[in-house]
Amino acid sequence: MRAYELIKETFLRKRYIQLLHISWFATYALLFIAPFPPETWNWGGFLFGWSGCMLSLLLTAGIFGDDIASGRICVLIIKPFWPGELYIYRLIGLSLQALIHILISGTIMFTLHSATGHGSIDHLGLWMLSSWLIFITFAALSTSISVVVRRAHNSMLLFAAIIFVYIILSFLLGLFPKHSATEAFMGFLRYACPPVELLCNVAFGKYSAIKSLGCVMHSLLLTAVYGTVGIIILCKRQFVFLRD
Amino acid sequence: MSIKANTERTNDDDKQKAVVECERLTKVYSSIWTGRSKAVCALKDVSLSVAEGHIVGLIGPNGAGKSTLLNLIAGLILPNEGRISICQHPVRSIEARRRLGYVPEYPAFQNRYSARTVLNYHGGLMGLNRSEITDETDRLVHELKMNDYVDRSCSGFSQGMKQRLALAIALMKQPDVLLLDEPSNGLDPVGIIELRALLKKLRESGITIVISSHRLGELEKLTSNYIFLYRGQIVSFGDKITSDPTGHLRVELVSDGQRIAEKILSPEKTLSASDTELVIAVGDPKEVPVIVRQLVESGAEITSVNLETENIEDVFLRLYNERN
Repeated sequence: MRAYELIKETFLRKRYIQLLHISWFATYALLFIAPFPPETWNWGGFLFGWSGCMLSLLLTAGIFGDDIASGRICVLIIKPFWPGELYIYRLIGLSLQALIHILISGTIMFTLHSATGHGSIDHLGLWMLSSWLIFITFAALSTSISVVVRRAHNSMLLFAAIIFVYIILSFLLGLFPKHSATEAFMGFLRYACPPVELLCNVAFGKYSAIKSLGCVMHSLLLTAVYGTVGIIILCKRQFVFLRD
Repeated sequence: MSIKANTERTNDDDKQKAVVECERLTKVYSSIWTGRSKAVCALKDVSLSVAEGHIVGLIGPNGAGKSTLLNLIAGLILPNEGRISICQHPVRSIEARRRLGYVPEYPAFQNRYSARTVLNYHGGLMGLNRSEITDETDRLVHELKMNDYVDRSCSGFSQGMKQRLALAIALMKQPDVLLLDEPSNGLDPVGIIELRALLKKLRESGITIVISSHRLGELEKLTSNYIFLYRGQIVSFGDKITSDPTGHLRVELVSDGQRIAEKILSPEKTLSASDTELVIAVGDPKEVPVIVRQLVESGAEITSVNLETENIEDVFLRLYNERN
């Protein structure tokens, strides 16, 4: 029952969550009849960026921060179970949401592509897998940040960090493309941050089966590392009853 | 006496099972931003134990450390020094948490949920199965008289309704220790009376209750056991806090009060005297019939006699003023 309640909570905790899913599906469907370039559009890549990266930020907004800001965490944290369960079941809830969302989105894309012939659905299955993997990695990172910040600041912080990293990367690649600092930064982004580049390459079919499996494992490992950090902080930190 | 501090333990006390034990607690609030220079010592070397089945009031001025002590007992924060146990289990252990119920000052719930869904949610977190959750929810809804609004969304709840729901959550699975932070906040007079009756009933069923409250009058109707905190230290504790026998007898007469007082009472006993009213210092309640008899024998025509003893508000002010 504990797992069920915590997983269910991730689906119901905000009114906008159901609305978000429905509007996302509607947007995917509408884009097939939109005038701009569906002919060359890779629907899998779109799914990856939109449902893999962006959706994770919106669904994890304030996942612990709201409890912390309202003082609700004080009642949750004294319940008779290991506090890590709070984190794990919520992350599982988010992962399930993403899985259902991506499956429905993929079905919409496949059906509408079959009907209209617009865009490309090459490697759609791989894109769906990559989207789900990038979702859970971002979700674990965002959920762990949520354990230490209030309200939805976790998603805002992560979004700002993505923009900042993009600007720095563009700057480095534009001015010092061969510099060791640029390569070190690229290496850090590739292996320590959510593996956007690696999973994109997997979805495009650029890697062999073994290398793709390695990327999938790397993504799962990163999710586990981000999650472990979040769980340790949740178990160790102190909660004073403060509400905003 | 249900509360003990430091070395003042007696054999009688030890016979009672201590459910909350705190040893030499020190809590200092500091942050990496402000450094040690601006650290605040919220509690300093506080030891106490609370025996099973008692209600204990935590009182003290703002900033005395009441909330810190309550948060430490709840395991929400950790002491810098010292040890806390709940029913012989270290605080923050699952066994200790199993025995604990906590009602915060401003309860908050998932606004999209109804009260029933909130209760089901917390029942699930407590590890109850579906039928146990239904039974517990029905019992608590009935006991706390929440029938009228149990299926309404929490977003529209008044503070009183929230307090009842928070209490219902805390009472799930019958805790051994109940921690209440300003439980009567937002309750209407009927709600306060019902809460008092419920807390007395809970005490009778063996639950130990620790209440932090500024409503001293309310607290006095529940218990005579207090912990008075001042600047992070226990100033007074147990039922000793009101054991000061000093009281005064207010006697109203038809006339001649001043003359009679001069005739039969020593000046140090006479706190004030007028023709129609005498205020007489009383060291022991047993003196009252003796004084009244002397007054009557001296010809006093008494219309009313009232023994006024120090209540908890007076004690609070006395202890507070002694330190300021």
